[in-house]
Amino acid sequence: MAGISGAGRYGRSETPVHWAPATGGIFSRLALAQYAALTAMRWHAFRNGMRSTRGALEAAAGGLNYLVYAGMGLSVGAGLGASAYYLTSHNHLWALPALLWTVFFVWQTTPIAVASFQQQFDLAGLLRFPLGFRPFFVLHLLFGLIDISAVLGALASFGIWIGIVLVRPDLSTWVALVLVVFGIFNVLLSRAIFAWFDRWLAQRKTREIVSVLLLVGVLGLQFLNPAVREHRRSAPFTPESRVATQQRLAQADAVQRWFPPGAAGRSIERAANGHAAESLAYVGLLGLYLLAAGCLLAVRLRAEHRGESMSDSPTAQKTAKRASGAGSKVSLAIGGSGPISAIIEKDLRTIMRSLPLLYMIGAPLLMVIVLASLIHNGHASWQAQMAVPLCIAYALLGFTQMIYNNLGAEGSGIQLLFLSPTPVRTVLLAKNLFHALIFALVALAAGALACLRLGAPDPAWLAVTVAWLVFALPLHLAVGNLFSLTMPRRINLSRIGRQRGAGASGLLSMLVQVAVVAVGAVAVTLCWYFGHFWLAAPLLLALAIPSLLVWMRTLAGAEAMANRHRDELISTLAKTE
Amino acid sequence: MSSGRGAIARKATTLTLPRLPSLLSFPHMEIAAIQTHGLTRSFDELVAVNNVTLRVAQGQFFGFLGPNGAGKSTTIKMLTGLLEPTAGSIEILGQPLNASALELKRQIGVVPEGMALLGRLTAPEYLHFVGRMYGLDRETTARRTEELLDFMQLAGDSRKLVTDFSHGMQKKLALAAAVIHGPKVLFLDEPFEGVDAIAAGMLKTMLQGMIQRGATIFLTSHVLEIVERLCSHVAIIHQGRLVANGSLDELRAGVASTLPGTESSQRLTLEEIFLSIVGANGTEPAQELSWLA
Repeated sequence: MAGISGAGRYGRSETPVHWAPATGGIFSRLALAQYAALTAMRWHAFRNGMRSTRGALEAAAGGLNYLVYAGMGLSVGAGLGASAYYLTSHNHLWALPALLWTVFFVWQTTPIAVASFQQQFDLAGLLRFPLGFRPFFVLHLLFGLIDISAVLGALASFGIWIGIVLVRPDLSTWVALVLVVFGIFNVLLSRAIFAWFDRWLAQRKTREIVSVLLLVGVLGLQFLNPAVREHRRSAPFTPESRVATQQRLAQADAVQRWFPPGAAGRSIERAANGHAAESLAYVGLLGLYLLAAGCLLAVRLRAEHRGESMSDSPTAQKTAKRASGAGSKVSLAIGGSGPISAIIEKDLRTIMRSLPLLYMIGAPLLMVIVLASLIHNGHASWQAQMAVPLCIAYALLGFTQMIYNNLGAEGSGIQLLFLSPTPVRTVLLAKNLFHALIFALVALAAGALACLRLGAPDPAWLAVTVAWLVFALPLHLAVGNLFSLTMPRRINLSRIGRQRGAGASGLLSMLVQVAVVAVGAVAVTLCWYFGHFWLAAPLLLALAIPSLLVWMRTLAGAEAMANRHRDELISTLAKTE
Repeated sequence: MSSGRGAIARKATTLTLPRLPSLLSFPHMEIAAIQTHGLTRSFDELVAVNNVTLRVAQGQFFGFLGPNGAGKSTTIKMLTGLLEPTAGSIEILGQPLNASALELKRQIGVVPEGMALLGRLTAPEYLHFVGRMYGLDRETTARRTEELLDFMQLAGDSRKLVTDFSHGMQKKLALAAAVIHGPKVLFLDEPFEGVDAIAAGMLKTMLQGMIQRGATIFLTSHVLEIVERLCSHVAIIHQGRLVANGSLDELRAGVASTLPGTESSQRLTLEEIFLSIVGANGTEPAQELSWLA
């Protein structure tokens, strides 16, 4: 069937066409042509993006973002490398899995934090072309390799490799092999987790099940926590407790070595001690995990490749039907008939029906649990005192993704905002009030989680935290209004893993966040240093006044700014992406 | 206020079209361009496309009509392999359509709902990308890109980004991308929506040229005059079910026989046929929306 010449199809003579045979192999001529076409397309899109000032800024910001994350990766890599060097030189390679577990957690948790922050190309859009399943899978793997989490994980792994090889150059090849297998496993696992989460959370029934499981998991952690804390407090560090600790570590080691980070560490340790067969066996185990993660991902991608659709319009019609049905519907209507209540009601409905937006709200809470666990493992008293402030501050940082792009979910509806007689400042005010309300709930939840995990905070610290929030929130809302009007980006309302990158706004928001945290930290540190810690809360409340004024000023100027950026707003949010 | 949708549903389900041709009345013909058997797609409890059996002969200009939400786009997605059917089978050019039928996918061109363009590319870059994705060699892709841009009168905008194109220009580009690999079967979802009269005329000429050269075109459109002028055969889908299928004359005869006081010789327009079959009940909105100026 190959070889439609199409001779003279458009009125000109045509020489015979040379088709790449349509086979589905990874390295078939067709697949190679498609990889080349995709690479060229990405390059052209990047180059064209540089034509406008904003595009150049976006590209520069994207590069800087990568540099920032690469810097973080280098720091983690240097730390892990130094640790690996120490463990190898002191013949303590039995502890190497601890480093690899760190890499594993960095690799798997980073995508949660940056899911809606980094640019993600929707490969499902390629399925109208004759793209075989295996090339489709390979493309997913390749795109996974340029993820921020992969950059961080790879640099961390590289640090470990250097640390070990500096002491034992003879192990360089083997360690490299183990770490490469471990890295590919991590890439496949993180892609598989996201693919399955997208699937589960896209359907009502599975979404409810997953939500309940997550809730049970979170509560389970909290119930587990007091027991562990109690045990710790009742066990001072004596020779007996040291033996007991070693026994517990040995028990934990016996279990963890069967998991990927443990297997990778164990393989290196066995190789270092001359047990080649055992080392090979552990790499084999790691390979099995890699295969399992690959299969998990392949099952999901196979369904997608066959034409599975998770968020098609008929579902939306069904939802609409249900919503309009009498009796059983849950009302999301709020009081009032003015534009502010209308906008809040609309945004509430949008959030309730959009997985990425729900994720933006929920992800900071997930990270708060991780943060609380990290703090919990520390022993210093200042860590316990600062747990709640840190968790709430982190929740706010995560939440700024929504605040800093508050028009992103409007899509082509942005045109209505310009057509309606409602001033843009009213629209932004409604969104700000709504976001502030949601954040209050998120902050309460984050605080409650931190209290459950680490106990109630010191009242003075709690007062400081509340004062900092009163200062920080209006400032973030003000900056968010500016960014939303000048650097909007469209949010894909149906899939977490299909978002456009934050670009320049992402980088600038990071800087603003650092500055806001730094102001709070400096105020608190100064008060503490001069022995007037009680002054920190009033000082932050005083700082909240200019912060509120800045917010009100941005609202007052919103109309003019929106009109100046009207074309850009409409073209970015409403036109072809 | 009476429920217009309910009225439509009642009429559509009770209407019988005894003189309409049997859905499978082409046993003597060659391999069909498109053949479906019991094609069904459900989304949880909603059956968007319900047991659709359809045959489109090669070389036909086939119109696929239906009210909004009837299942047209869902059907096209299934016929082009973008959506997996819940039940039923699809054959394109005599071969079963599935995800691994890569060679078959190369015989298909599609202008999908939403056009699926890449905004940050220029038109030549986009067409080059599409051609290469279909496996065309570089020289052929470059030559056809140039010819298509000339034909679509987009050559003058070859440095403009697609995102800056007007809606009509984007439609033309999407159509160019759908035909760059010379497909034998072309699926067009609302190709004339937002296209000006001059461009529409040009596109019609191109599509008719393709038909003359043996291609098959499966077209959905709400502009019934265009469908009437272009298509030799028409099927109508309503609430997921195929409620009519045949040549325009056959549909006319079938509908005329069901309408009291309509002589079979009277030439019904496609709009009249469509409204008769899907059962628009002629409500008077002006009375119901009396607050309108």
